Amino acid sequence: MSDNVYSTICPGCNFGCGLYIRENGALEVDFRKSSPANAGKLCRFGMSLPRLYAPVKSMIDGKEVTLEDAAKDAAKRISAGKGSTAFLSFGNTTSEELLAFQKIGESFLCTGINFEALPKDTYRTLSVGLPYTEIEAAKHIVLFIDPYEQYPLIVRRLLSAKKKGAKITAVWWKTLAIADEMIKPNDVSKLALTKDSLIITDFHPLSDVEQVKSVLALAKNAGAKVTFLKPFANSTGAYLLAKDAKQKSLVQLIDDINKGTIKTLFCLESDPSTLIPSETLSKLTNLIIQAGQASSSKANIVIAHEPLYKKKGTLINNEGRAQALGGAGTNGLDALGIIAGAKFEFNALHESVKKAIGISAVDEFTIPKYDRSAYGAIQGAVKLNEAKTALVSVYNPFIWFNLADDNDFVELNLNTVRALKLLKGGTLKIKSNGASIEKKFKVAPVQDNVLITSKKFGIEKGMLTPVEISR
Amino acid sequence: MQKGEMYVGWSTKEDVRKRGGSGGLVTSMLAAALEKKLVDAVVVLKKINEFEAVPIITSDVNEVLNSAGSLHSVPSHFAKLIANRNLKVALPAKGCDVRGIIEQGKRNAINLDNTFIVGLNCGGSMHPVVTREMLEVMYKIKPEDVHGEEIEKGKLIFETKDGKEHAITIDELEEKGFGRRESCRYCTIKVPNNSDIACGNWGVTGDLVGKATFVEINSEKGAKLLQNAVDAGYVQVQKPDEKGVAMRAKIKGVMEDLGKKWKGKVFVPIENGRLEYFRKELEHCIDCGACKTVCPTCSCGEVSKCTEYHSRGDAYKMSMYHLVRFLHLADACIGCGQCSDVCPVDIPLTRLYRRFANPVQEQLKYEPGMDMRKPPYFEVKLNE
Repeated sequence: MSDNVYSTICPGCNFGCGLYIRENGALEVDFRKSSPANAGKLCRFGMSLPRLYAPVKSMIDGKEVTLEDAAKDAAKRISAGKGSTAFLSFGNTTSEELLAFQKIGESFLCTGINFEALPKDTYRTLSVGLPYTEIEAAKHIVLFIDPYEQYPLIVRRLLSAKKKGAKITAVWWKTLAIADEMIKPNDVSKLALTKDSLIITDFHPLSDVEQVKSVLALAKNAGAKVTFLKPFANSTGAYLLAKDAKQKSLVQLIDDINKGTIKTLFCLESDPSTLIPSETLSKLTNLIIQAGQASSSKANIVIAHEPLYKKKGTLINNEGRAQALGGAGTNGLDALGIIAGAKFEFNALHESVKKAIGISAVDEFTIPKYDRSAYGAIQGAVKLNEAKTALVSVYNPFIWFNLADDNDFVELNLNTVRALKLLKGGTLKIKSNGASIEKKFKVAPVQDNVLITSKKFGIEKGMLTPVEISR
Repeated sequence: MQKGEMYVGWSTKEDVRKRGGSGGLVTSMLAAALEKKLVDAVVVLKKINEFEAVPIITSDVNEVLNSAGSLHSVPSHFAKLIANRNLKVALPAKGCDVRGIIEQGKRNAINLDNTFIVGLNCGGSMHPVVTREMLEVMYKIKPEDVHGEEIEKGKLIFETKDGKEHAITIDELEEKGFGRRESCRYCTIKVPNNSDIACGNWGVTGDLVGKATFVEINSEKGAKLLQNAVDAGYVQVQKPDEKGVAMRAKIKGVMEDLGKKWKGKVFVPIENGRLEYFRKELEHCIDCGACKTVCPTCSCGEVSKCTEYHSRGDAYKMSMYHLVRFLHLADACIGCGQCSDVCPVDIPLTRLYRRFANPVQEQLKYEPGMDMRKPPYFEVKLNE
């Protein structure tokens, strides 16, 4: 008897939280207290990883097959659909796999990010965030996120900064316990920034480009620092490694599938159903998913390999810190090799990864030096909430991974409860674009005319959805 | 050999003596238990580096022998690791490990008859991230250059790869916010006499200092474990001298007194606003549940009162989850510090649980994990 214990990184976001996964019949999470990003601490999602890592089997059109057969069939369909195939990976896998994937997907690569709509000189700032120690040392921190729901491990860094005297301002729809000052998103013009300010926001496939530009402009004009947190295990790696690749945005991908110019979609460790509408996915001739865990998408081909925690490879976290996964598995690379028609050597790819980020060895305790050169003048229009009532979707790991959570309710304030004469323990009717749902509610210090949810209800149109509400 | 006897002993294997702390007796005793089939498995810390080791359950004697060495910056806990696994197992255990194992035994999650607990004297452990920072700030050395560590005469000593020793008093380190975890500072279980056999370097004298372990047999199982190791040729023992026995008792007394003083410093009475104090401390909770998962005395599993009475949809000013846990742990908390270690928003949970547990356990004269006495709350009978 000897336990199988893997030292790994939580895939819930790009924070870089170290942990152990123990295979003891069922999977168990164990705390890796020496991990520099999180000191072994895990959020609600990290504690749910045994649920996320649901086993997956290789399949062709619903029939179980070997990984090799699935990869070979995928290669055939991709080859037959040359010119109408797209390659999608949000960055939920190793940098080595992502490099191999880029080589296959040169024709239509998508990390989900709309880089083309953003100035090139902002890429580095958008891709690599600031070290967490800089956040702890900041004098004034401005949040454009809900740290508790979206990136919970940042909370202790914020508390550490507060202990040292930092002031925290939150530009958010709900009063946050950690904030000393609250500013409504519609009143963002009241935000007073200085060169001592540090803005924390996030950047992901559903980010509104104008909003991203406006935050960059706020920081630029005040000489403040800005750091973008990201939602996938290796978002930073994916964005850094794909900086020279020709990419298309998620919106373009959805358009092309709807128009019929993209008929085959190959997803690497990314569940498309979390971001692409099901009616769009149903138009594909071939949906091919290569993954280490079960997904909710109905794929024509599933190429199943080891889960992330058993893989060998490198992840790069929000800070740009290179982290080695503790597994030995390279089945994912083998499958990509079958599709490419040429074997990918791990060591060669690993050397390329190190070269790309300018390091000679992967050392999780040392953050490589990145050229975070300033970007030029930029303008962006703040998207104000003009809806009479808006449903605010707070994207969090459970939404990105379509994993069930104890959050099937909306938050609203007491004024709204009284105005609608809602009953304690009752429900709220929410209508949007002809769709209607009924949800439990929780009274919280939310702004007037705003509902907040951390769950995907299926009626959303982006982060802000105009809705009508009634008892 | 029998309960109550004391010995000084060491491993007969030279490589284990070299790598192991204090003569490698514990490592060899565990390996012998496995080799001679006294147990089916042993828990060891698989060392990654000076600041990281992962606990594993193994049946490989070589893996046990290779695990030798003390690690003060690995604050692991073994009770939950062996719970509900129906193992015949031997394991090294700090005082808090022993207490957790005994409490799991009371809750039928561990069969104590099949569990051989090798207690380790413990002056406290440190958080690895804090230790790395402490090395850079206080010792001015790079963590990567550390080769070994030792606690001696109130000093924390690090040996670097160049052979040099770097020593600072624990008092000075703790004044600056480094050193031991808070719960270790006020812990008073320094020699784990609640284990089957208590082992440590306190009481080793003369030429044997640093080369042998002082052991005290606390149970028949403990006697069996040591006798097995001697019979298997893994361990040699001799009777301790009187000076050593007295020295050990003195160190134990001093350490326990120090723990009591710390308890006074940490648990300053809350004069006013007790409710607000707890509400404020808990306001950043993100409902991760890690404190329950890691708690070595909790054996409720998925369905438990603290989670059943709690929903994220509730709008209470203080979470029912924590309120239930405060009550549930009042007679069960062993103050191990694991909940504080794993809290993602740095809530000092152990301190909060102890604020309830200290008065309850003092009033009921009950120390969980120290013996097989039934938890007082289990004995409450209604309608009598």
